[in-house]
Amino acid sequence: MNNALSKKKMDSATIITAAIVLCFYVAVFIAEQFIAPTSMLFTVLKKGATYALVAVSMNLLNGFTGIFSLGQAGFMLIGAYVYGIFTIPVASRLDVYQYYNGGLVQFVLPWFVAMLLAGLVAAFFAFLIGMPVLRLKSDYLAIASLGFAEIIRAVMQWDKLGPITNGSNMLRLFPAFNDFNIKNADGQVTVYLSTLVPLLIAGLCIFVIILLINSTFGRALKAIRDDEIAAEAMGIRLASHKRLAFCISSFFAGVGGAMLAMYQTTVQAKGFTTAMTYEILLIVVIGGIGSVTGSCISSFLFVAASEWWLRFLDQKQMIGDFEVPLLRNGFRLVVFSIIIMVVVLFFRKGIMGTRELPDLIRGIGRKNKRPTNGRTEGVRSEGLAARNPRPTNSEDAGRNNKGAAAK
Amino acid sequence: MWNTIFPYLLTGISVGGQYALIAIGYTMVYGILRLINFAHGDVFMVAGIVMVYMAASGMPLWLCIPLVLIVTALVGFLIERVAYKPLRSAPRMSAMISAIGVSYTLQNLVLYITGGLNQLYPTIPWISDSVTLFGATTKMVTLVTPVLTILLVVGLVLLINHTKIGMAMRAVSRDFETSQLMGIKINSVISMTFVIGTFLAGVASILYFTNYTTVIQTSGAMPGLKAFVAAVFGGIGSIPGAVVGAFIIGIAENIIKGLDIILFKLGVIASPIGLATFSDAFTFALLIVILAVKPTGLFGEKTTDKV
Amino acid sequence: MSENVLKIEHLTMRFGGVVAVNDLSMDINKGEIVALIGPNGAGKTTAFNMVTGVYTPTEGKIALEGRDITGKRPDEITKLGVARTFQNIRLFSSMTVFDNVLTARHLRRTSNFLTATFRLNLAEEKKMRAETEALLKEVDLWELRNEQATSLPYGKQRLLEIARALATGPRLLLLDEPAAGMNPQETEELGEFIRQIKDKFNLTVFLIEHHMNLVMGISDRIYVIDFGKQIAEGTPAEVQNDPAVIAAYLGVEEEGSDA
Repeated sequence: MNNALSKKKMDSATIITAAIVLCFYVAVFIAEQFIAPTSMLFTVLKKGATYALVAVSMNLLNGFTGIFSLGQAGFMLIGAYVYGIFTIPVASRLDVYQYYNGGLVQFVLPWFVAMLLAGLVAAFFAFLIGMPVLRLKSDYLAIASLGFAEIIRAVMQWDKLGPITNGSNMLRLFPAFNDFNIKNADGQVTVYLSTLVPLLIAGLCIFVIILLINSTFGRALKAIRDDEIAAEAMGIRLASHKRLAFCISSFFAGVGGAMLAMYQTTVQAKGFTTAMTYEILLIVVIGGIGSVTGSCISSFLFVAASEWWLRFLDQKQMIGDFEVPLLRNGFRLVVFSIIIMVVVLFFRKGIMGTRELPDLIRGIGRKNKRPTNGRTEGVRSEGLAARNPRPTNSEDAGRNNKGAAAK
Repeated sequence: MWNTIFPYLLTGISVGGQYALIAIGYTMVYGILRLINFAHGDVFMVAGIVMVYMAASGMPLWLCIPLVLIVTALVGFLIERVAYKPLRSAPRMSAMISAIGVSYTLQNLVLYITGGLNQLYPTIPWISDSVTLFGATTKMVTLVTPVLTILLVVGLVLLINHTKIGMAMRAVSRDFETSQLMGIKINSVISMTFVIGTFLAGVASILYFTNYTTVIQTSGAMPGLKAFVAAVFGGIGSIPGAVVGAFIIGIAENIIKGLDIILFKLGVIASPIGLATFSDAFTFALLIVILAVKPTGLFGEKTTDKV
Repeated sequence: MSENVLKIEHLTMRFGGVVAVNDLSMDINKGEIVALIGPNGAGKTTAFNMVTGVYTPTEGKIALEGRDITGKRPDEITKLGVARTFQNIRLFSSMTVFDNVLTARHLRRTSNFLTATFRLNLAEEKKMRAETEALLKEVDLWELRNEQATSLPYGKQRLLEIARALATGPRLLLLDEPAAGMNPQETEELGEFIRQIKDKFNLTVFLIEHHMNLVMGISDRIYVIDFGKQIAEGTPAEVQNDPAVIAAYLGVEEEGSDA
């Protein structure tokens, strides 16, 4: 990916990428000041930022380390709860924890501290659960991590933990995205930041993940994805590197969970279902397994399509006197599912494959002569390799040389 | 004490039988394709919805039941042809993602058709009747399920051990490539596996929803996952393993559901402590423990990777 | 008497009822090139897999420079100075030639994931890249550094595997059929190359090979095994004239007619 010779090109591509990202942030800031805050655009950007972070964190595991984990919703749940528990103002606690006398926690952390803590607690749980789970093979790991998410969901709803988690009741009244807006003494908003700040948080986190991916540790993770046995033979300790990826991914899923809490303004354990993990997985697949850029683009597209652009499919539509058939509540999701199945079956590389934005820019720069990545065929063919041992050429070679030995 | 536990045990055996019928579908498909068919639980749910709509159309129930089973088997067949067959030579992760996609699609399709409302399952005479056994009142279906499950499993084992298609199935699950070279028609064996698996899920859906009386698009998710856990627990690929695993999980889950009341009546605890919350979680905890201790399950075979 | 690098004592590996390696003992001394040969299925790769920690031997002991490494993990053994290549090439297929070699320097890092992520290890990263560059130039793959590893021709992939193994900083290099699939000319060049890197990197080489010209040409000593058991040991000349070896390779009947 990066090497000495094309360093100059890489640098210019990176600069252009940074410029594009910067322009995006400036545009969002300006838009926020002039467009009504109720616009769907901002809903999409806020939720999209949250999903982008979670999708990238999942991609770190599924795409870059080759660990097929389905525990994302569980770690988001932990993050959302930790954030909520430590940021509900003390004055509101009696209201929120009405069945538990205001609950046990009677102090408040600043939002960013709580968010960091959300990530750390999620990472800690990942550390614990990683010990038994990460030793498992692909599909067993998937189902075990999924099961873990279900266990977390049940534990959080347990009545006995109510003084901390509020049992099966919702957490609310904690600082949300709207609290990022700067208000004057009369309570009127002077500067709108409720969309920009979440985008910045997600951007920062994703930037850190990109740094990790391009570090020596990132290369080690990719080596594990490409060939576990070869990676181990090159001195890469599988257990510690997988655990590292799992914990970091969960850290950011936890932060993403905290962001989701801020976006929703309320949190309830029963919302963090397996379906949520599936949704994020599908976002990763649509974007391209192994592409951070892809996960980001696909998150915004996914949210925009489901919350905004395809909404019309859920209502009756008239063209003149003609009522378009099939359109009613739920049709949007059917269309959506079909699009996803088409991507899964026919466009397996997703939007980006394994390419990133700088690759695209570089591609345009030199009229794109890069050989296409043979990844989908070559890599992660663990399933096939398991039952179809690679062909060996030693058979013939051996036979041809038997004579030589006897001479 | 017996009187307190017995009703939960009875329900547990019944639910266990229903899980067993679903679990067989998972274990057979995994045995042959090494694929966790995440959509299997949703096929089970679709079978329930089909029954609801058929009965609502005024069709007599004696006709509905066989039709539901045929339609379910057909759905299973189509899913394999459309969503899994094209990915057979792709990396394993692709097929698993496709299965998740199918699960998502089926749920959304049913959401669209039903409007996301609970659908009342038709009352099937006789098996819906109440019976009293050793002082516990239950539906006939509770007693019918384990018996029917055992009969179907015996039938299936006979099929697999004594027919040509059964032999082909065993061969394919042992060695995919070689059996292809030996002239076994892989495609028909795989289709047959899906047809049998979904047919049994259809039977399970009739028994299960007669008991729970309503169907919604998410109804299949949890029983599906639990049945899969049962299959892993028993050793994936092994039919007797799946059945034993399913009964253990069904019973354990229902005992936990009633554990508060049982412990309360036994005087162990003074007030309920909400253990029922963990009835689902227990299944998964069991899964993680068994995978950590014996990854191949109770009856699974050990395999060594070749380098 | 030179310094001992690898000492294998009474090594046995059973898979269920199958005995893949049976009571194998070997000694490899510093600076030697030692070959392990034998018919297909004789247990050569299994022996390699035990030395590199992929399999834990059922019985026996493996010592590296006097230190017991039996049952250690592959990555631990690599860190102690044993590197290997694979019979069926196992390159990191999504990576470039350069990154394949660079990744193999990872084990000699001093940074942790935080310092690496936040680029506090720039000096080390720079050093790793310089070492990779030097190594790729050494094996003449520098021009191909930006190619995807798996897009290289077969012979070059084998070469890259050796370069990658060298990047881990080994003292003992294990080559599993390095000449498989190569034509006679490539094989000859490979022999020369192995000797070169042995001197250049101060290595001891232990190889499995079927190309007898290569084995006989470069080995100091040869061990021959059949059905997991050692049947001969000695210099190339000794081994070539050993009746047991001839029998194993040609079958017993032919022994008489050949002689």
